[in-house]
Amino acid sequence: MSLIDATQHAFVLLFTGDPGLWRIIWVSLSTSMAGLILATPPAILLGYLVGMNAFRGRRIVIWLAQAALSLPTVLVGLLLYLMLSNHGPLGALQWLFSQRGIVLGQCVMALPVLLAFTLAAVQAIDPRYAETALSLGARRHEVMARVLYEARFGVMAAVLSGFGRVISEVGCALMVGGNIEGETRTITTAIALETSKGDFSQGIALGIVLVAIALLMNGALMLLQGDAHAARERA
Amino acid sequence: MSLSIHSDITAGFYANKDQPLRDERRKALLGVRGLRKRHSQGQNQRLLFDIGTLEVSTHGAYVLTGMNGAGKSTLLRVLGGLERAEIDSLRFEGQDVLRTHPYPRALREAIVYVHQHPVLFSTSVAHNIGYGLQLRGVPRDKVAQTVEQAMAWAGVAHLRDHDPSRLSGGEKQRVALARARVLRPKLLLLDEPTANLDGQAREQVIELIPTVVEEGGSIIVACHDRDLIGLPGVQRFKLRDGQLEYR
Repeated sequence: MSLIDATQHAFVLLFTGDPGLWRIIWVSLSTSMAGLILATPPAILLGYLVGMNAFRGRRIVIWLAQAALSLPTVLVGLLLYLMLSNHGPLGALQWLFSQRGIVLGQCVMALPVLLAFTLAAVQAIDPRYAETALSLGARRHEVMARVLYEARFGVMAAVLSGFGRVISEVGCALMVGGNIEGETRTITTAIALETSKGDFSQGIALGIVLVAIALLMNGALMLLQGDAHAARERA
Repeated sequence: MSLSIHSDITAGFYANKDQPLRDERRKALLGVRGLRKRHSQGQNQRLLFDIGTLEVSTHGAYVLTGMNGAGKSTLLRVLGGLERAEIDSLRFEGQDVLRTHPYPRALREAIVYVHQHPVLFSTSVAHNIGYGLQLRGVPRDKVAQTVEQAMAWAGVAHLRDHDPSRLSGGEKQRVALARARVLRPKLLLLDEPTANLDGQAREQVIELIPTVVEEGGSIIVACHDRDLIGLPGVQRFKLRDGQLEYR
């Protein structure tokens, strides 16, 4: 099958609502969203605390968070595989080769991205915002809410980047999920599998979906950054 | 700007220019003993100031003067609970304050500090002014009413729904003062409030001093402004060589 034929077939698969294809897209989106939702609150809280407080070991935390950004996803997958396998410490959960296992992996991979980006966003905020809130009588959580609101563009960019990281990774989903059709097959693992089988149509169709998601995310990010730049210029 | 411009504003407050006024109403508000602040310089620490005693009474207006770098802003920030310092003892309204950083909630609600260059939250002018009232659980209609009055006082009613980042420096300063004033703090700390103001905005700051005192609060203003320093009835602290002098 030529590339043009494969691409034409890919569009047919997409627009005729091929159930196998859309099941893969659904598994990918649902596990990525679930992982992101689980990772976001602790990562934002941690990013805020590290960004706003001086404590012994703070630079080590920042160093580790930034180093974790470049952690290979297959390594995360391997570690989680060992932990979730029957003899591992989390083996009793029976999450290996399940969507829950993928969600756990996505959560672990989104954490450093969310943490590092939130940390950068919070550090970029003028410290007078927190001081002003404090001086006007805000309690700790109210100061945090105020600072995160002022850093909202950066925090939203963190969440979008975290989503980009988890939706596009392949190593962890493959190792922890097992690429089981209809159950744990995600967009990226399906592309890898179908390409290895020589069936390019589904791979191209899923690639189009991934590119569409990337375009949407980056478009949203650009809109947000546009507002942020405008606000900064006015300030 | 001449002080005479404000004579009508301050006449009611300064009935007798030679006496600190309302002595009969004055009680000890804030008493600090043994207040030291050190700044780190590499391996060494530099003593910025070492203040034996600092007394502030209710219905009191004070200016804090000193050369640039003397520590005026730092002292205000320490008193505002925003910066750590070594404090031997601190009393507020006759009660010992055991935790000086961060301040207990009651003390944070009683003392409000306003930066030299205040920042406004990126919401609206009205929300900024009502923010502290909302934190205190004031009912929404009461907040709205107070905010309206405060905006009228600050001359920013026409900017109610404006993006605060579009305001001029003077407008920001007025909104920040209104935001602090609506809380009727027992102690208001203003850091160089007139440094970037002129005209009506500057007069409003000078007018604020008797207003706060009339409302039962006290105010400490760090400044170089001769008109503020020379206001009758206003007591003067001067930070020099790390010591606090009473003038």
